Amino acid sequence: MFELLLLMSGGVAAGAFGALLGLGGGVLIVPLLTLGFGLPFREAVGASLVCVIVTSSAAASVYLQRDVANLRLGMTLEMFTAIAALAGGLIAFLLPDRVLAIMFAALLLYVALTMARARDARETLGVSAGRGAGSGAWAPDDGPAVFEDGDRETATAEAAIDGGLAASLSGPGYRIHNLGRGVLGSLLAGIVSALFGVGGGIVKVPVMNLIMGVPMRVATATSNLMIGVTASAGGLIYLFRGGIDPYVAAPTAVGVFVGASLASRLADRVDLPVLRLLFIAVLVVTAAQMALRGIG
Amino acid sequence: MNDARLERTIGLVLGAGAIVSFCLLAMGIAGMGVTHVGPLDRPFPPFDLNRLGSDLAALKPAGFLWLGLLAVILTPSVRVLASLLGFAVAGERRMVAVAAIVLTAICLSAALGAGG
Repeated sequence: MFELLLLMSGGVAAGAFGALLGLGGGVLIVPLLTLGFGLPFREAVGASLVCVIVTSSAAASVYLQRDVANLRLGMTLEMFTAIAALAGGLIAFLLPDRVLAIMFAALLLYVALTMARARDARETLGVSAGRGAGSGAWAPDDGPAVFEDGDRETATAEAAIDGGLAASLSGPGYRIHNLGRGVLGSLLAGIVSALFGVGGGIVKVPVMNLIMGVPMRVATATSNLMIGVTASAGGLIYLFRGGIDPYVAAPTAVGVFVGASLASRLADRVDLPVLRLLFIAVLVVTAAQMALRGIG
Repeated sequence: MNDARLERTIGLVLGAGAIVSFCLLAMGIAGMGVTHVGPLDRPFPPFDLNRLGSDLAALKPAGFLWLGLLAVILTPSVRVLASLLGFAVAGERRMVAVAAIVLTAICLSAALGAGG
């Protein structure tokens, strides 16, 4: 019974943090299950994938109903994350753990450094100039990017006039840039998700935010939406190949559900700079964990 | 159906899937407690669709756990299907194609996993 409660408590913490950052909690669950409970790496990844789907469903439900996530952008990019997760799930059963751990640590450090070097959050988020949208458009100091129906229809109409896929995926107050690089990032995110049991938000959020010009809070919400499909594509391979332990995955996932539900309702009150610092800290800690595992 | 309405509908689908999953998993966990099954007990029951019905009928924890886990994993697919239908109603062919590709990738994952 104590082990059950411990697992569920770990899930609550991972779910809350994951929902706030669009990480899905996987970066915390895999170390929790492998280092804390001595589970084989692959079973930890399988359980983690289940947990990140729960996180995604719970958080994205709230984000969508509040009009924070960009559904069109999310679905377009998740075409590539799902296909890549399929490939990643197959590769995961072929490659040695150590090689994967070192590669992942390097990736995390790169992303953390990229985020840390951005001097100004507003500059990074691409919201300092050329907004031109009406009320309800993205404004970091005013809370989340909540779209009024009028803003949304206007933005869609403007995008249609401008033409182009990237323009049609833009939202009120921001325009999508570098769609091609976003696709590459999505492919990487899908592979990373299936290999390491994370949602892929650690790649998707910075790619959308830093490269594609999506506001941080929209990027986080859209990433949460995409994480479910990405992890589902990888999770099905683990499910059918015996990589999911129901006795571990279920209590952890229930904890994650509770944590994610609480956090997604608190997300509006989290300061953007704090959110970013937390994100960087999580990346660095996870990189150290993965490097230690790789070095052995 | 405009974007805002579609997004809210999909949000409800995701929320319902999460709640159904949560309830099934909670029932399975309660069953673990009643039957004194620990989370680290080995071997864990394998996933077998043919046994799912009989396990549920016998009120075995494994039945509820696996059904809950299936609900978790399939909820995003239901969301994509709902999106596909919503975009089809709105006549947005490009987004219908996007949703169809995503669903195909998920089905391919299941097929490759089961075949592997």
